[in-house]
Amino acid sequence: MSLKKFSELFGDLDSINSTNNKIEVLKRYFLSNEPIDNSWAIYLLTGKSNKRFISGRYLKNLFSQIYEYPQWLIDTCYLKVGDSAEVITLLLKNKTISRDKKLSNISLNELLSETIPALSKLNEEEKNLEIKNLWETLPEDNHLIFNKILTGTFRVGVSIGLITKSISKLINVDEGIISHRLMGNFEPSINSYKFLVNKNINLQELNSKPFPFLLANTIEDKIFKDSINDFQFEWKYDGIRMQLIKRSGNVSLWTRGQELVNESFPELVEKMSQITDDFVLDGELLVWNFKEQIAFDFSLLQKRINRKSPTKSIQIKYPIIFIAYDLLEINGRDIREIKLENRRIELEKYFSKWQIKTENNISDIFKICDLIFPKNWPDALTFKEKSRENNTEGLIIKKKTSIYSSGRKKGIWWKYKVDPMQLDAVLIYAKGGSGRRAGLYTDYSFALWKDKELIKFASAYSGLTNIEIKELDKWIRKNTIEKFGPVRSLKPEMVFEISFEKIQISKRHKSGIAVRFPRITKWRKDKKINDADSLENAYELMKKIS
Amino acid sequence: MRTKQEYLIRYKDGNLYCELADIWIDPSKPVKKALITHAHFDHFTFGCEEYISTKETAILLKERVGDNIKIKTFEYGEEFKINGINISFHPSGHILGSSQIRFIFAEEKWLISGDFKLQNDETCKQYEIVKTDYLISECTFGLPIFKWDESNKIANDISKWITNSPEKTSLLFCYSLGKAQRLLNEISQTNFKGNIYSHSSIHKMNNSYKKLGIDIQDTIKIENKKKIDELKGSLILLPPSLSKGSYLKNFKNIQTAFASGWMSIRALRKRSGYDKGFAISDHADWDGILKVVKISEAKNVFFHHGDSEALRKYLVEKKSINVLLFGK
Repeated sequence: MSLKKFSELFGDLDSINSTNNKIEVLKRYFLSNEPIDNSWAIYLLTGKSNKRFISGRYLKNLFSQIYEYPQWLIDTCYLKVGDSAEVITLLLKNKTISRDKKLSNISLNELLSETIPALSKLNEEEKNLEIKNLWETLPEDNHLIFNKILTGTFRVGVSIGLITKSISKLINVDEGIISHRLMGNFEPSINSYKFLVNKNINLQELNSKPFPFLLANTIEDKIFKDSINDFQFEWKYDGIRMQLIKRSGNVSLWTRGQELVNESFPELVEKMSQITDDFVLDGELLVWNFKEQIAFDFSLLQKRINRKSPTKSIQIKYPIIFIAYDLLEINGRDIREIKLENRRIELEKYFSKWQIKTENNISDIFKICDLIFPKNWPDALTFKEKSRENNTEGLIIKKKTSIYSSGRKKGIWWKYKVDPMQLDAVLIYAKGGSGRRAGLYTDYSFALWKDKELIKFASAYSGLTNIEIKELDKWIRKNTIEKFGPVRSLKPEMVFEISFEKIQISKRHKSGIAVRFPRITKWRKDKKINDADSLENAYELMKKIS
Repeated sequence: MRTKQEYLIRYKDGNLYCELADIWIDPSKPVKKALITHAHFDHFTFGCEEYISTKETAILLKERVGDNIKIKTFEYGEEFKINGINISFHPSGHILGSSQIRFIFAEEKWLISGDFKLQNDETCKQYEIVKTDYLISECTFGLPIFKWDESNKIANDISKWITNSPEKTSLLFCYSLGKAQRLLNEISQTNFKGNIYSHSSIHKMNNSYKKLGIDIQDTIKIENKKKIDELKGSLILLPPSLSKGSYLKNFKNIQTAFASGWMSIRALRKRSGYDKGFAISDHADWDGILKVVKISEAKNVFFHHGDSEALRKYLVEKKSINVLLFGK
């Protein structure tokens, strides 16, 4: 596939909203191009490559130097566009037209395996010359892709799941199998593509497939009429829901999003491989505070999710645990059809067996979830309210007689989440967004009263509708007091309800507090700034919780 | 240097105003005498005692708002006098009838660019170069990221977009007056030979253009009760106001696109909610504005419409052009 074809593919994918159409487009491209270029396309589309050869800033400086453009003008454009690679692409337009486009048919393979890697062997002067030369000899339509690959910012609205679906449809092989094949260090090559589209499935591939996940519904009042003894109560952890599968000796970790994540958590795979039984467990992966026996914040887990083959020191710094909720299959026997209370007995039985039998202690990475035993519904409510103390989001309530069906089945499992904490705060700063939100003021800072002064306490980006964002953007432009680069300080006038999950003391912030997951939950147009909360209110909230 | 009050044309209540002639340009509120550069609604307001425009603009305005307005017309280039000021209309290339307006008083020339473009457009008169001392220019797309492709290239992209999805009905949203007719003219010269439908508001403007001697491809006025199968593979032109809301439920299996200069930016394209964006504009791009500033030979430039901060700084720093600010 030439770079040109790939640019077209990018353009098509970028302008199609329907998933089915995207799949059709992908199928068509895979069918009409060479395996080697297809493998590069998959490599790029699945985000396997986000290596940054050159920073956006470097590229902007280089452009400014070559074409004698003032830096401030490029920066102003950036505010509107929100992406360095695209700004340069738009500015390059019509600048290189007279040159011979001798690279019009460069293949994706050549560009990615030769031309771009060669850049890193050059000194700065040579590199600048070569980039200029590439800009001038590549057709204009290809500049965006080229600049995006250079700056490691190639992204398009295609998930790994969509690629999986396309390949699955292309060769008529189950998605789970393709997902498995796509996992790991997908190195672009003829063979890696051929392996991906092989119609013959080997046994090992079949063995790795997870069951469809059973999901909990939001709590319904009617369950409070039932006897508390009909239910099993668990903490609702804020981690990654996962099925841990061991069949024929092979361990696979599947997220709910059908992603195989063995490579992010090698220590878990290794430990679980020691167990002699085969099994399928449903559970949650967390970064675990072993001293206090509670989960760390989800933010720490994020440091592990996207990192393939983590080093030992990362593994020690962010220690993980798999907490099993449920046993779905044991030694080849599918037990999803038996009652939850009986599956729990099996789970406990096998867990204690494994604890004794394995050579190395497995409980430093694997345990089964503790159950909670409220005496009555008000008691359950008290447990729910306490869930912040152990870093959980509330309770999961499961009917003891429930079988493990699939999807969000009604009337068997519920989540009973703790309410978020809220304060009413005043909007004081706004900053331009990037990417899809470029050109709009979408990053907001909020303040609380301290005596007669407004003190910044949180920043939030999410929670407003697109219509509200546009309305607020207009207001911001009319009510700016001062501009500092991309940031505007604003007339204090607008009050918003800010919700968050956690509040704690922080010396780094002027307000003395830090909140987790702040988000806008309401635009309080009914409130004047004097109605907003004070820092004192925030401290009280903190006291109440701890 | 004169004070702002002493300029022949200045800003008053957010509008361009010439005190000496007591005349307003495209006012947004009712006044005694209004010069109208073109027939888009953001340049026109009801209730003025007298309007003055080109012949074409007058006809288009009457088509849109009825005969109930008092409007005096002049040909392009024809000079008329108000309180000793010589005033004339000159083609601005924006839409049919659109004009720049020149004022000459005591040997001092002022030019109001109106909305303008330099690109070729067979549905209206080409932009005319007019020399001036003072230029008041629009600045809708005043950043160098805006550079328009030739309109036939865009038309070919549109044609490909339709023919690549023959099972779909292609809805192209565009302004009813000007953009729609320009697109029709361009699309009729591409490989797309399927049916073209247009919304009644666009259909009406097509007919006005035809009456004024502009050759516009025939389109079928869209009826709500059209059979879905009939629309398959065809193109439907609709005004942007219909893109949100229930109107789209009249169609099945559609793809949507918006034709506007703003669509050159990916973030805006994504945010717009249309499947696709075609960057075609009836306004000047960055190079267009710079070119007009240069060839008009204006020593002093004002900008209005749009964010002109960057353009102003660029002209002052790089081209040593005196760019002035309107007092609001």
